[in-house]
Parts: sequence; structure tokens; C-alpha cells
Amino acid sequence: MKTIIAATLVVLAAGGAGVAQDFPNRPVTLIVPYGPGGSTDLLGRQLANELQEKWGQPVVVENRPGAGSMIGTASLAQAEPDGHTILINTAAFSTAPAVQTDLPFDAKADISPIAMIATSPYVVVGGAQVESETFAEFLAEAQARPMFFATAGVGSSSHFAAELLIQQAGIPGDVVHFSGGGEANTNLMGGHADIYISTTASVMPYVNNNQLKALGVLGEERFVLLPDFESSGENGVRGIDVDGWIGLFGPGGMSDELLDRINSDVNEVIWSEAFQGILQENFVIEGRTSAPQFKAQVEAEMDLWVRLADERGITGD
Amino acid sequence: MEIFANLALGLETALSPTNLVFCFAGVFLGTLVGVIPGIGPLAAISMLFPITFHLNPTAALIMLAGIWYGTSYGGSTASILLNIPGTTSSAITCLDGYPLARQGKAGVALLMTTVASFIGGSIGIVLLTLFSPVIAAYALTFGSAEYFSLMLLGLVAASSISGASALKGLAMVILGMLIATIGMDSQSGTARYTFGSLDLLDGLSISALAMGLFGVGEIIASVRRITVKDIDRKGITFRSMLPNREELKRSWLPMLRGSSIGAFFGALPGTGPSVAAFMSYAVEKRVSREPQRFGQGAIEGVVAPESANNAADQTAFIPTMALGIPGSATMALMLGALMIHGISPGPNLITDQPALFWGLVMSFWIGNVLLVILNLPLIGLWVRLLLVPYHLMYPAILIFVCIGAYSVRYVVFDIFAVMIFGALGYAMRIFGWPAAPLLLGFVLGPLVEQHFRRAMVLARGDFTAILERPISGTVLAITALLLVWSIWSGLRQRNGALASAKQS
Repeated sequence: MKTIIAATLVVLAAGGAGVAQDFPNRPVTLIVPYGPGGSTDLLGRQLANELQEKWGQPVVVENRPGAGSMIGTASLAQAEPDGHTILINTAAFSTAPAVQTDLPFDAKADISPIAMIATSPYVVVGGAQVESETFAEFLAEAQARPMFFATAGVGSSSHFAAELLIQQAGIPGDVVHFSGGGEANTNLMGGHADIYISTTASVMPYVNNNQLKALGVLGEERFVLLPDFESSGENGVRGIDVDGWIGLFGPGGMSDELLDRINSDVNEVIWSEAFQGILQENFVIEGRTSAPQFKAQVEAEMDLWVRLADERGITGD
Repeated sequence: MEIFANLALGLETALSPTNLVFCFAGVFLGTLVGVIPGIGPLAAISMLFPITFHLNPTAALIMLAGIWYGTSYGGSTASILLNIPGTTSSAITCLDGYPLARQGKAGVALLMTTVASFIGGSIGIVLLTLFSPVIAAYALTFGSAEYFSLMLLGLVAASSISGASALKGLAMVILGMLIATIGMDSQSGTARYTFGSLDLLDGLSISALAMGLFGVGEIIASVRRITVKDIDRKGITFRSMLPNREELKRSWLPMLRGSSIGAFFGALPGTGPSVAAFMSYAVEKRVSREPQRFGQGAIEGVVAPESANNAADQTAFIPTMALGIPGSATMALMLGALMIHGISPGPNLITDQPALFWGLVMSFWIGNVLLVILNLPLIGLWVRLLLVPYHLMYPAILIFVCIGAYSVRYVVFDIFAVMIFGALGYAMRIFGWPAAPLLLGFVLGPLVEQHFRRAMVLARGDFTAILERPISGTVLAITALLLVWSIWSGLRQRNGALASAKQS
């Protein structure tokens, strides 16, 4: 017992740098705040494989789905900030807190953004009832006939992307919430809803099967992997500067050394052949951010969504 | 004929030694977890999911699918012999299966459920083979208005499922719907009845509710009247299993009806074998000339839901494989097993991966034949499993129930939820409140609400738009008729009872 206390004291005395050097010293848990089988889960499992090889410690994936990823995120907030509990999440991390105002944690103070793993712009896809083939035609059609914008759920990134486009393009439209991206996509195919705006990973399989048509991407520029899709910016829609992403997070209060250490390890493994293969299948490109850059981006998006939720009257209360 | 070439390719794939072994492993495990109350296919498949990383995708899928439809065969064994549903989808089989066993007809009930399961499964496979593309395209035309109408029909039918009074049934349906409102509102994100608890934010889990109400509630009840529940072991000889001509005559139509109902609900995303089993039971009771026999050991009440849940097990693969849309959490896991191996599900799956798709389909035939062998000549083995003394069996089941409840979300809270629902289930049993409508209300309630609110948004607040859509309008009309009919027949029965009371 005494030796354990002594050892603990030594580790504590060595300070943050010591923690970072000695990380990881036991199995690491990677929380996936979604059910097994989805695109984030698959990316998370591949990341876990790569990090396990790099770290020489098991990296165990734990699915904690529910409440638009906030159940898993809440359990991360309660974990020790020693890097042994980490979480992979999408931009839902920045949108959900704008709707769920009574979360038992502070999304800025209690979570540390570590690294962006992958990113791609939001793709606007049209369903069976939509006649337009291009973004310009879509803007005209949406003015003439108010459309239904499908979302993957209230507070999801697809919800906020739709609200942002409706606001910035000044088009009329109603938002319809479905239970997940799969249901949103099917309802577009059946012609029950018109537009779904989501990440490439969620919609590209259906676009490639010609079940849904891609009308364009949100943002100033076209996307390098999908150069045929018009951007919202080239059609005169301004003020949309958000991309979809998948990032790695830790509990709040992690030391800067530890954040940098995990950030550089992630930035290394995402270039592996197997990982690049998965990125290509999902039509995303690898993230290239330092931990402070990623943190700044995530917090700027959080502020944007809170503002938008306020302006568009979206709130959980 | 292309279809024969496809089937030949599928048979060749399914008969390869590796795939055969995994098919057997799947159906064996499926029967095992089906027989043991408390663990359902979802818990079993989640626990085995990690193994599939190391298998080729076809073998992985064949094994997971084997567990899935195998549980429906095994699930009825515990329902009939112990009055404990082995799985949720065989919960309804308790209603008439257990009375049959008490009448010394356990063997007949077991044989007939296996035959019904095989017929239901076979019809499901034929439909899966022939109509995969057609039904998948049809499913797309189902919008929220259609789902809402169908769910409402399900709820109205459910209130007349259990033998008890329609009022008690309806009350339990509503209680189930109320319990299901706990959690985050799907349309506004507002937390309802969570009292700030994060564990409640995602609602109570269906596995906790089902295991508590049916599993734990039954165990507590059995501990008190333990002697009543002896299984007549000698009664289950092969000879005792042979049904008489009367029972055969009563069974074949319900089997066909059950298979059709099951095939339909299996292919619809969001519903599945459990809803199919409930619905087919309700239908049988409705069309029967002697509805009073139901709940007293009617063979129709056993074969119809058992053929329905097996047909649904097979047709559930139609939206999953043809569209990449999982109708349930279990199907989502199957898709996950595919995606882990880089195969993206969708309409191209059947053309891109013919060996996988047709191999899986043909493995269903092999699996179903294996299940008949496992469940008839080897029935003694499963009965022996249930013959383990209760003081050993029940604590073990409770542990399995807790593991099962925990393994779904890895939340300790769910174990407490199981215990609370166990107490509720026991109390309901004492006061004669039926549990099955509560479960159905719990499952369908949130779907009815979501689809209704969504349909209202899509109709821009105009309710008549739902009535104007041909499918939803027709279904709502049927629902109204059913409601009027059950009130009328209820009144007639009551008047009849009053009249006979006066005469005597």
C-alpha cells in the first residue's frame, strides 16, 4: 500500500509532462456515442485499431448511444482527464447543446477537443419529388414551392445545416424530423420529404446508387473530392462557412502536453493505408488541425448554432 | 431463368463447409438463447458481434441470421412449458401454449409450433426470394401517414388481444404509451419526465421492460406456486407430440394467415416479429367462431403467432438487404457486420454481392431444416434444460436477465429498471391486468406519436390529408370498423350474459 501511495506521489510530482510521457499505461476506452454499425462507429473502430497498434495498449470501443450523442458525451465528461477515456463524435457535438439546454455538463468547460479526424462539406440532396438537377435550379424551385427539409433528428447537424441554408438563402421551407439519417434518406426516396442536408458519409451511397440526387454542397468553394457539385457560395448564398467533421474528444481539464501527444498520434495514424481507404469510401478528407485549432473551430460553431437556434426559435424548452 | 442460377449459386455458397458450420452454430445458439428466458436475439447478437470481425462477411451474416431466426423456434419452448416467453416475439404464445401444456398437450403444442415455425419461415424465404425488389420499392411509398394509420390499427387490435376485458387491455395499452413518453421528445428535443436524470433521457429500454414484465414478474410469481409448474417430462414423448385430426384441421388456416401477416409486418421497417405475432393472434381471435377458447389452450393461438414471427424474421431481411434500411436494432447489427467488411448495403448489394445475398437466402433453408431437427428429435435436450431445479434455474435466469439488460446499453440503471418492471409485472399478475398490451403500447406509442406529428407537419396541419391518402385512409377506415365491431360485440356479449343471468 505504501509503495502505491509513494508511486502515486511520484507521478503527481512529475506533473503533466510525466502523465503525457507515460500515457497510455492501461487500456484506453474509446466511446462511440452512436449504435454499432453506423459510419461514425466504423471510423471509430478503425481508429481504435490503429491507435492500439501505435500505443501498445488495447483500445476498446464502447457504444453509448442516445439523445443525439449526448448520453455518450455526458459519460465522457465524468471520466478522468488522463487520456484513457476518449470519444469520437460528429458535428452533433456542437449542435446538440444548442437544443438540449439542460445537459448535466458544460460542453465547453467539461470536454476537451483533441483532434479533427476527418472533414467534408454538407451535401444537399433532393428526393423523388424534386425536379431540379443543380443548386441554382433548386433555389428557384424552393422559392416557387415551399419544400420539406428532412433532418436526422432534432438538434442534429443535418437539422442545423437545413436551418442555416433556409435562413441564408431566404427560402421558405418546413423542417421535418426523422429518427436518424437512414429514415430521412428513405423518406426522400419515397417522395415524402424533399431535401436532406448531411455529411458525405450519410448520403453518398444513395447518390451513387442514383436513388437520390446531389444538388450541391454548402460552402464558398466546391469540394475537392466531388468537383461536379455546385457550391452554395457560387450561387450567391453567403454566410455559410461550416463543414461536417468527425473529431476526437477527451474530458475537460486535460493537460496541454497530453492533448498535443494524442493529437499528433491521431494526425499520424489517419495517414495509414487502411484509414485512408475508409476516408475515401466516405468521401471525406483527413483533418489537419492542432488541438487548439480544433478547439477554436468547435467553440466558434457552438456559438453559431446557439445564435441560430435563438434566431430561428429552435429550443428544447 | 436467372433466379435458378442465383439459387444454385446461393446453394453452393451456403453448402460450403465453413458456412455450414457457422449456420449450425448460429441456429444452435439461437435455440439456446431462445429457450433460456431473459436473453433475446438482440442481447445474443450484440454479445457475439465482435467475433464477426474475424470472419468473412458471408459466414458472419449467416451465423448472426441463424441466431436471429433460431431464437423464434426456441422462444416458444419456454412459453409453452413455463409460461415465460423465451423472447419477446413468443410472449403471445404463452397465452394459449401454457394452458395447452397444463392440459397435458405440451407435446402437441411443441410439435405444432415447430411445424408452424417451419411453414412461416419457408413462406417468408420464398417471399424474400421472389419479391425482395418489389416489396422494397413498395415500402418506399409508405410515408408517416401510412405508418401512423397502421400503428393505430395495431393499438386498437392490441386492446382486444388479451383474454381479459377490453377495458383492461385498453388501459394497459395507454399505460404502455405513457411509460414510453419518458425521454427526449422526438420533434422538439424537450426532455419529458426525466427529472433531470441522464439515464432517462433516452427513455426506458424495451429490453428492460420486456424482461422485467415477463421474465422477472413470472419468476417471482412462480417462486410462490412452485409445485404447480412441474413439467410433465414423460408427457413429451414423440408419440404425445402427434396432433389429432381436429387439431390439424384447426391449424392449417391460422398458419397461412399468420405467415402472411408475419411476412407483411416483417418487411415493414419499424415493426417486426413481435408486432407480427401480436397482430396475428389478434386476427385469429377476431376471425374465430369460438373466441372464448382463446386463452384456454386454443391451438390456433399458438400456431398463428409462431408462423407469423418466423415469417417476419425472414422478410425483415427485405428492407435490410434490398435498401440497407434496418427495421430494428438487430437488423442494424447485421448491416454493421456487412459494413465492417466494407460492403455498403443498398439496392446494388444483390447484384454486386450475389454470392453473399443468395448464399444467405439459401442458408435460411438449411438453417430452418436444422432447426426442425434441433427442435423435434432433440426437444428432450431443451426440456431437460428447463427441468433444472427452479432454485438453481431461477437465480441463473435472473443473472442472465441482468446481463442481458446491461449488455444493451451498458447502463447499470437498466438493471434497476428490470427489477422495477419485475415488481410491476408481478403486481399486474396478481390483479389480473394483462401485460402484453402494455408492451405493445410501449413499442407502438412513440411510433404513433412520431409518425402522427410528422404526418401533420408534412400535411401542413391538415388532418384530412391523412384520410385522403389511399392506403392510410383505408387502414383508418378498417381501424374505425374494428373499434365499432369490438364495442358492439362487447355489448352483445354483455347483454347475452345479462340475459342468461336473468333466466337462471
